Amino acid sequence: MEIIRIEGMTKRFPVGNGEFTALKNVDLSIAEGEFVGLVGPSGSGKTTLLNIIGSLDTPSDGTATVINQDVSSLSHKQSALLRNIHLGFIFQTYNLLPVYTVYENVEFALLLQNMSATARKKAVMDALDWVGLTDKIKSKPAMLSGGESQRVAIARAMVKKPKIVLADEPTANLDSENSHHILQTMLKLNKELKTTFVFATHDEKVMKYLRRKISLADGKVIADELMQTEKSKQY
Amino acid sequence: MIKFLLKGILRDRSRSLLPIIVVSIGVFLTIVMSAWMKGIFTDMIDMNANFTTGHVKIMTRAYAENSNQMPLDLALLGIDELKQNLEKDYPDMEWVSRINFGGLLDVPDKNGETRAQGPAACKAIDFFHNPKEIERMNISKSLVKGSIPKKPGEAIISDEFAEKFGVKLGEDVTLFGSTMNGSMLFKTFTVCGTIRFGMTMLDRGAILMDISDAQLALDMENGSTEILGYFNDGNYDKLKVEEVTNTFNSKYSKENDEFSPQMHKLEEQSGLGDYLAMADGMIGMMITFFVIAMSIVLWNTGLLGGLRRYTEYGIRLALGEEKKHIYKTMIYEAILIGIIGSVLGTILGLGMAYYLQEVGLDFSEMTKNISMMMPPIYRATIFPDLFYIGFIPGLIAMVSGNALAGLTIYKRKTSQLFKELEV
Ligand SMILES: Nc1ncnc2c1ncn2[C@@H]1O[C@H](COP(=O)(O)OP(=O)(O)OP(=O)(O)O)[C@@H](O)[C@H]1O
Ligand SMILES: [Mg+2]
Repeated sequence: MEIIRIEGMTKRFPVGNGEFTALKNVDLSIAEGEFVGLVGPSGSGKTTLLNIIGSLDTPSDGTATVINQDVSSLSHKQSALLRNIHLGFIFQTYNLLPVYTVYENVEFALLLQNMSATARKKAVMDALDWVGLTDKIKSKPAMLSGGESQRVAIARAMVKKPKIVLADEPTANLDSENSHHILQTMLKLNKELKTTFVFATHDEKVMKYLRRKISLADGKVIADELMQTEKSKQY
Repeated sequence: MIKFLLKGILRDRSRSLLPIIVVSIGVFLTIVMSAWMKGIFTDMIDMNANFTTGHVKIMTRAYAENSNQMPLDLALLGIDELKQNLEKDYPDMEWVSRINFGGLLDVPDKNGETRAQGPAACKAIDFFHNPKEIERMNISKSLVKGSIPKKPGEAIISDEFAEKFGVKLGEDVTLFGSTMNGSMLFKTFTVCGTIRFGMTMLDRGAILMDISDAQLALDMENGSTEILGYFNDGNYDKLKVEEVTNTFNSKYSKENDEFSPQMHKLEEQSGLGDYLAMADGMIGMMITFFVIAMSIVLWNTGLLGGLRRYTEYGIRLALGEEKKHIYKTMIYEAILIGIIGSVLGTILGLGMAYYLQEVGLDFSEMTKNISMMMPPIYRATIFPDLFYIGFIPGLIAMVSGNALAGLTIYKRKTSQLFKELEV
């Protein structure tokens, strides 16, 4: 089932007196449960595309439909609701809130949803279990390693069981061992929860895990390949 | 969510401490200064009440109109009966009569010739039968030498006068003037004490004697220039005073009889009403000032806090929290911090106010040459409003400061979140 559909989509930014076209006439369809990487050199438009899929920004031309909702037509309130319920975000830097514990950082994502305290507790513990951090619930982010921090960030993105998780360079700050660990975690969640993962990366280590690789250059999709790698078959 | 935010406030001290300190200081100052001003105004009013105006004062209508000339011929008569009625009608008040009059004080030498002379401001009170009056005028403490009059023919004179003309205790002084019906007053007193109130207005040419002596000398048997009324609990209660005055005046005061008694409220006399209004006005002005000054400071600390929490707000936007909701939580936080700061400031402020109430500051040296009636020691007064008054500037300033600072959230573009959070 199609979960993301992009048709004839162009994104222009005003720069100085003129405009800069960051995405040119992009067509794309992503089905539920895919594990997709957006790859390409710096400035090719990966983040711009994630932004639009995440309803953080709107297309200049064409349409982007995410979970049957046209991103351009959403009000602020509606796009916030879409993110709140269906989308999870993982950033390059972990962006954990330093005053809160690991547990609270994950719980934070659920506070906007009407959920009983017991249901919330279970959800948080489940999410921390998925990323293997149940023994660190009381730790503050400052005490965690980079890999652990990113796992907390994944738990935070996953705790509300979103349909889509968007990740921008999730491994850029991690060493190779931690990168593998993170990717394995995400792949496992993709498998178990049927969550669709879309991430932007130019990290070679990540490539091995992708089941679909969409290559961008100069704002255009130049290649869209299904991958059959050792790692991705594993799951 | 609130619980979550409260945790944040308590844990991130560097973000909450500064606003809490600012709010506490502002609230502290508001309370101390309000208590202080209230104390000064209350003291001044008490003093005026004790020395000249009473909580209420009864004079003849004619005397009231010319009271600054102290016209003895317009004094009240039949005061014993009037006082009996007053005591019956208003049992929770005390009624005392006093006579004020002017004259010339003459100090004779051994041969009875004039050695020195000066204008005298005479006050006759019930020394012999009413110790409360002595206390009310703070006479025992103000005595420099000697004692209070204990028998007819004794008087206390101003210490300043005694010093200047070398009058010693036990010596005689003579008072010249005119009596109630206009004949010549000539009365000799033995000086039994000297007094210094510490207030120029009261000390200049003062001579104090028992009211019975004055009545005799002034031919005003059963008469006095005024009857003062005091509430037994010592508090000036505007509403009660209003009632007492109205009932009294409708019963006794007759418009066509200028010798009929008329009761005056404390605040009608010598501009004290304006003074009371000024006290309230100044407290209001001060609170307004603190609100504005603190709002500006807190606006800035709010902006700093917003910078510190840039990431947090970014994450929350990404998680799908609406800007309006984030803004609302900032206001809730401001209210929480405002309450914490106000509680702290109120506790500290009340502590300080209590100290100033019990100990006070002695300004008597500085105000030596001021002729207004002012208390020598300035004390604060704790009054019920103090328990909440600080919350007004505390909360208003914190909330308005943060409401302004928080507006920056509306300038954030969600499309920049990935970039902003990628640093
Ligand atoms: N708000 C903006 N205003 C102007 N130009 C922009 C804006 N956002 C992105 N761009 C431009 O669009 C192009 C694509 O940017 P984008 O951030 O999507 O690249 P990217 O593929 O994510 O690169 P990187 O790998 O470096 O993160 C870049 O040339 C960038 O300068
Ligand atoms: Mg990018």
